[in-house]
Amino acid sequence: MPELKYAEAIRAALEVEMETDEDVLILGEEVGALGGVFTVTLGLQERFGTDRVLDSPICESGLVGWAIGCASEGLRPVVEIMFSDFSLLAFDQIANLAAKLRFMSNGQFSVPLVIRMAAGGGTNHGPQHSQSLESIFAHVPGLVVALPSTSADAYHMMREAIRCDDPVIFLESKYLYFREFGEVDQSAGTRGFSASVARPGEDVTVVTAGRMRHRCLEAADIVASEGVSCEVLDMRYIWPLDMDAVATSLSQTSKLAIVHEPVEFIGWGSEVAAWVSEYRFEGLDGPIVRVGAERTPIPFQPYLEDEVIPTTERIAEAIRQLARH
Amino acid sequence: MSNLENFDGGAERVAPSQVAPAAEIDEARVLALYRGMQLVRGVELAIENMHKLGRMSGSFHSSLGQEACAVGVCSALRESDIVTSTHRGHGHAVAKGAPIRGIFGELLGRSSGVSGGRGGSMHLHHRASGFYGETAIVAGGVAWAAGAAWARKRKGRDDVAAAFLGDGGFAQGATHEALLLAQHWSSPCLFVCENNGLAHSMSSLALFGEYGAIAERVAATGISSRYVDGRDVMGVAREAQALVREIRRSGEPAFLECGVYRVRPHSLSDPDYRYRPKDAGADWLASNDPIANLRRFLEPGLAGELDEIDGEVHDLIASELATAEAQDATPVTHARSNVYSTPDLDRRA
Repeated sequence: MPELKYAEAIRAALEVEMETDEDVLILGEEVGALGGVFTVTLGLQERFGTDRVLDSPICESGLVGWAIGCASEGLRPVVEIMFSDFSLLAFDQIANLAAKLRFMSNGQFSVPLVIRMAAGGGTNHGPQHSQSLESIFAHVPGLVVALPSTSADAYHMMREAIRCDDPVIFLESKYLYFREFGEVDQSAGTRGFSASVARPGEDVTVVTAGRMRHRCLEAADIVASEGVSCEVLDMRYIWPLDMDAVATSLSQTSKLAIVHEPVEFIGWGSEVAAWVSEYRFEGLDGPIVRVGAERTPIPFQPYLEDEVIPTTERIAEAIRQLARH
Repeated sequence: MSNLENFDGGAERVAPSQVAPAAEIDEARVLALYRGMQLVRGVELAIENMHKLGRMSGSFHSSLGQEACAVGVCSALRESDIVTSTHRGHGHAVAKGAPIRGIFGELLGRSSGVSGGRGGSMHLHHRASGFYGETAIVAGGVAWAAGAAWARKRKGRDDVAAAFLGDGGFAQGATHEALLLAQHWSSPCLFVCENNGLAHSMSSLALFGEYGAIAERVAATGISSRYVDGRDVMGVAREAQALVREIRRSGEPAFLECGVYRVRPHSLSDPDYRYRPKDAGADWLASNDPIANLRRFLEPGLAGELDEIDGEVHDLIASELATAEAQDATPVTHARSNVYSTPDLDRRA
């Protein structure tokens, strides 16, 4: 089993899908000779040609619209949006056409489109390069929202996204591209749209996704030394959201903390909290705790960024408080 | 039509004289163009009437008066060619061959409607006839057409796509991005800008200049671009045919600005008298109607044939409308179906 960096794992998934299906193509800014600013598509144009790995001018809206046209003809385009913040330039095409075409045409069209983008903070890129938009995308019916946190998930979820007949917003953590490194079992089957248990535990369920998985695991280590056992649940997809997995974990722990990188206010954690209080209220033995970003743009300096994004320490403290309840 | 000055909201845009139709198209074809325009006109009038009677709901945007553009352009296309359209797209749907009954059914909210009766006037889709669909976002379907045409070309086909947009859509960045991509990546796409003089209340003369100015802007990008008078269906058909032939041969995009006029208000509820003379639309139609123009030209030799077409179209529309209206309303279970293609996801939606 090869050990791959997160960026390499995504590349490996693209490569194998392009090998097996000539309808898979990549379009995006700097994806060709440069190989993408985060190297995800490095070497793919050389291998598959300029006909399948296309360098786009800087026009996110036109590019996504074009890819919708390709997808509606049965191709499986993978569009790279360099930073997820730039996807807002294409938000009309994403939300009004890609997401709705199946519904509007009453099933005459499918849009097997992947829009992959470098998301979130951690790399000091500042307010217009660091947003976590998964809650916004999850609000749009018709989209799948994927948020891989490990090399293995990045690989398998990308393969699954390309095979999916619906538009998938694939949010890659730019922080993890070169920091996350792990074994990728390329022969393993995919897990479908389900959450995974990143760490089993008994006292507190910590629901998270994406980059925050790693901070939650660190926090779980800290509180473990204080006698608190956390079950860390990596949701992997923000839509569909695997609430069965949350319910299963809660039936053991009875305590729930939700940690995510998007703004806490009306973030996807609010949905988890609302669902649990509505359907699993009797199973709760304490308040539901949320730890998300403050409702402020993301500053570029590391110490300021961590002032507003959940840190290991703040997550640990929230878990500690909840465990004492 | 192209030498109008001091346009201040409508009346001055009423062109002074009829256009003599171009004459080098054979009789069967010209009668088909006439029939096509009468079909579009009849559908638009029937929809207006149904709203007046309270038997149709939702908003709609009439293309009445713009028939020559839809019919002329689509006459140059094959069934396998692709059309994307705008919020004012009934005419494009009819001209591309989407079934009249299904169009009425859609506007009536019947499950037999072309889009299942959930989209209504601005969401007609009929893939089988190549009418990929309207989009209710201005210029929302332009890049879609360009990408789809390019995808066809990749698969070795020589089909083309026609992306209809309006002068309003020409203001959108999405249009210019699509034009740029179509040129850069060589998409066999015909961009058809129906310049009807008004983007809701915004005058295209004030924004872009006289009719033809939009085509000139595009020509400056190096894309093959022409202007045609949209009161002359044979002229539109001829220009469209020439461009489509060239697109099929070269695989490169082209652009056609078609000068028309928006006879009706922007939409059903639009108080257009606030920004143009009350009778601007009717006055324009009285002396510029593309259907009357063609009829006047053909009448000397073909009056009988034209009358026959009029009668057949009238009966067809009446019968399709009656059949559509008698069909079942879309059931409530359809409110949430086909959100996703993946069955498991569709169940969760």
